[in-house]
Amino acid sequence: MWTYDRKLQYPVKIKNPNPQLATIIISQLGGPDGELGASMRYLHQRYSMPYGKVTGILTDVGTEELAHLEMVAAIIHQLTRNLSEEEIQKSPFANYFVDHTTGVYPVAASAVPFDMKYIGVKGDVIADLNEDLAAEQKARVTYDNILRLTDDPDVKDVIRYLREREIVHYQRFGDALRITQEQLDSKNFYAFNPAFDKHCNKKQR
Amino acid sequence: MMKHKPCNACRDSLALLRALDFSIQETVLYLDAYPDCQEALAYYHKLVCERDALMSSYQEQCGPLSIYGNRSKTSWDWVNGPWPWEIEANE
Repeated sequence: MWTYDRKLQYPVKIKNPNPQLATIIISQLGGPDGELGASMRYLHQRYSMPYGKVTGILTDVGTEELAHLEMVAAIIHQLTRNLSEEEIQKSPFANYFVDHTTGVYPVAASAVPFDMKYIGVKGDVIADLNEDLAAEQKARVTYDNILRLTDDPDVKDVIRYLREREIVHYQRFGDALRITQEQLDSKNFYAFNPAFDKHCNKKQR
Repeated sequence: MMKHKPCNACRDSLALLRALDFSIQETVLYLDAYPDCQEALAYYHKLVCERDALMSSYQEQCGPLSIYGNRSKTSWDWVNGPWPWEIEANE
């Protein structure tokens, strides 16, 4: 189970609303490499992990991604507060507004709603961890792109924090893959045998 | 007693709590991969001890941070005050 902490992991305090910027940043809520996909990916991959350390990393990184989902939602919420009809009309945010008003709905910057097809759960530790390493890098690139597209210091501060977390998670998934490969049988040096066949893995101590 | 009022003392405590929780999160991810690291484990225990004390005093004075932390016997403070995504909760 989970319990809710009534605070953000890192504060979000955006002085100037900017609906146009919200339409870009929302991709990290419901886009292909966003925080909703990240949390769903790790929290669902956990169940077929053969090693406790790897299950722990997926559980704790997946939980942290939920906190990041809330932080991105906070950015969207604050960027779209107190808008006049005129401000909405002259912004690309108008297209989102017509369907969701100023509610926070997980879509990509392209306006495509979140889709579980963005994530993979293969049930194989090597396949899943390699997806996770790529996912962290893709999320890092998206944050890099967001940083290219904004000058707002309040927004940049939070985006930089989230970008750093992708880098740390990439390191931990690197550890997870190393831990996994250390468990492989010598005949499985190229990591090609399925995790499903237990005899391909060394006995766990 | 004032509940969920962002007074200076509560603001400072919350900032410290966030910093402690961040350090714990980092240490936990590290320990998942390196559970035999005694140095990291000792650091984890030091942080959790500080966190428990600060969490307790924060919830006593500033309002609940979890559903287990509503200290008042006469009012349900969980639903009072700004929610985490509102700018007022982050000032």
